[in-house]
Amino acid sequence: MAASLNLILVEIAWPAALALAWVAGEFGRRWLGLPRISSYAIAGFLMASSQGGFLSQPSGEAMVLLTNVALALILFELGYRINLGWLRANPWLGATSVIEAAGTFAVVFFIARIFGQAPIPALLLAALAVPTSPAAVLRVVNELRGSGQVTERTLHLSAFNCVFAVVAFKAVVGYAMLTGNGGVFTAVWNSVVVVLVSAGLGTLFGAAVPGLLRITGGLTHHTTVAFALAVLLLTALTDAFKFSPILAALAFGLVARHRRVLLSQAQRNFGALGDLLTVLLFVFIASTLDWRQVVAGIELGAAVLVARLLVKTGTTTLFARISGLSWRKGALTGVALMPLSVFSMMLLEQTRHLDAKLVANLPGVAAMMLLLNVLGPLATQWALRRAGEAQPGREG
Amino acid sequence: MTLEAFKTSSPLTMGVELELQLVNPTDFDLAAAATDMLHLLARKPFPGDVKPEITESMIEIATDVHTRHDELLEQLRQMRDALVMAGDRLNVAICGGGTHPFQRWFDQRIFAKPRFRELSELYGYLAKQFTVFGQHVHIGCGSADEGLYLLHALNRYLPHFIALSASSPFSQGVDTLFDSARLNSVFAFPLSGRAPFLLQWNEFERNYFAKMEATGVVKSMKDFYWDIRPKPEYGTIELRVCDTPLSVERAAALASYLQALCRMLLQRQEPPPAEDDYLVYNYNRFQACRFGLDGAIVHPKTNENRSLREDILATLRHLTPHAAALDSQPALDELYAVAVHAGNHAGFLRRQYSEQGGVAGVVDAAVRSFRNGRST
Repeated sequence: MAASLNLILVEIAWPAALALAWVAGEFGRRWLGLPRISSYAIAGFLMASSQGGFLSQPSGEAMVLLTNVALALILFELGYRINLGWLRANPWLGATSVIEAAGTFAVVFFIARIFGQAPIPALLLAALAVPTSPAAVLRVVNELRGSGQVTERTLHLSAFNCVFAVVAFKAVVGYAMLTGNGGVFTAVWNSVVVVLVSAGLGTLFGAAVPGLLRITGGLTHHTTVAFALAVLLLTALTDAFKFSPILAALAFGLVARHRRVLLSQAQRNFGALGDLLTVLLFVFIASTLDWRQVVAGIELGAAVLVARLLVKTGTTTLFARISGLSWRKGALTGVALMPLSVFSMMLLEQTRHLDAKLVANLPGVAAMMLLLNVLGPLATQWALRRAGEAQPGREG
Repeated sequence: MTLEAFKTSSPLTMGVELELQLVNPTDFDLAAAATDMLHLLARKPFPGDVKPEITESMIEIATDVHTRHDELLEQLRQMRDALVMAGDRLNVAICGGGTHPFQRWFDQRIFAKPRFRELSELYGYLAKQFTVFGQHVHIGCGSADEGLYLLHALNRYLPHFIALSASSPFSQGVDTLFDSARLNSVFAFPLSGRAPFLLQWNEFERNYFAKMEATGVVKSMKDFYWDIRPKPEYGTIELRVCDTPLSVERAAALASYLQALCRMLLQRQEPPPAEDDYLVYNYNRFQACRFGLDGAIVHPKTNENRSLREDILATLRHLTPHAAALDSQPALDELYAVAVHAGNHAGFLRRQYSEQGGVAGVVDAAVRSFRNGRST
């Protein structure tokens, strides 16, 4: 009897946790003005077993696949909102992106070395600090109905630095294998081939799905479901073959947009499906963090966080005027780029199968993730409000 | 505050104001980008005037005072090119059209300026629903009385401008079946419609404006949203019924049509305007809004029923000597083509809807038309 009761409790743990997190999100928004995703993360962290909570460490494949799908949907939407033509019309935006990403990588590597990290973990940490969490940014933008230059540039820079981060991270993994005992083949396979095939698969979907939709003539009614299913399929496919679902989803969105089948307004965030999966995503990611690791890496994590903010804000401010923006909005763009976590965490998660030792317990990562899970969305929300780009009456 | 004196200006000069849409090139919804655009445009001298409008997704441009069609068109093109270039740098698309086909009025953000905030508080949702885009044409008048005469003499031609400029068939995501759905939004305002039938400026000032001011309902001429209103500080009358066309070329043609009409009316060979002309005014205006060039109007003097298209074509032919004198025949030729075969921009947008499969495709086409100046 006791055993079966226990089993039942385990079964309902995750749905209960999601419901609790959702409630926390609503109250956090109403009482504290917190973006919902910040509350989801805090709730997920507190409910995890490592913090004495009731959520057992989720190791199930289903859970990982679901979170992968959740993130892939977000990356698809982000890719869909990227206008590559903008880089042609305003090359300084591209320059901002390259310098911001490279600068973050270099400075974080430098700091990690100062903190006494070996070169490989320092490189991995540096790669993980590059991306701006697209999940957090897109979520906050959609909740505030943000519109304007800070919003647009934050979304574009986030997409670009995610691509840089994947490439850098895979390159470091390849390099680590080459110098370790992996051999040339595994090294090349896990860096160059994974990146190229993932992007290629995404491109293929981006070309095929809109074409299919055009033939079926369902252009105005069924695009949301069709794209969601395609993302699901693409994620399962890339996950099964150990490619990168996140890179594939981003490429899918990007190509689909430039093939121009129009998503209508109502389908932002993939509606209720997107909302639900977002709760899952943020609770899951935060629940994988362990307070002991957080405490152990708090100094390095905090140093990286500050340096990252300074580099990103410094770069966007420096290039503000020349790229057609006021200094003030340039600086606010840098602040809005602060969120990190989900994307980096999934990047780690997807590499775990390669070499668990390499990516397990990377110092500083847990602290950085936890801090930025909460502070990042808050920073984006603050920046969009200060820039006057939030719809009044919309709370984050 | 009393009504300011009517400043005289050279007769038949003209100026154009266009309210334009700022659009997100990804989903083609309106983009709250006016502040960013104005910031960037302020860095270089702009070939004309550019200023904010009530919501953040609108921008208004105004030309200098012109006498010639080709010069007016040249300036409009320069302004268009400057706007398009700035938009490209900021990932903002710009287009004409009297309405945005699927924007949701409650999503619009009011531009941060005291007058706009006041209007927004006074009119509530009407202010946001007023996210519609019009072309205003000013015609210079030698005297205030001449202005009032023109204003009323034009009453019979007003449907021409509605039908020729109509470019707002879609609103809130659906085909309204109107060629100009925009004007329905304008008519919701309490002080919209026709001006009172007064032909002497001092009479207008004493017997109408002063009385209205005493009621506390209005403070200045700006509070009237009439189809045609006097603009004393410029010494002009301002025609306000046109939807913003999809191209600046069409905007220049419409202004030159008005200029030629005014030249003809000032020769005073037509029967003078009368209060009774307004008996059919609202009916004719509705016909033009609803059916565009296919509308049927009633002539106010003869009560004769005729097709709006025929009436426009007859007027264009009648204006030939005036266009020759003003050197604006190319403008009239463009409108002739519209009336005979090309149709107005509302028809163009409806064709885009069925070809591109949706309202977003309509905006895409409008953006391309504005940029390239082609819209047929």
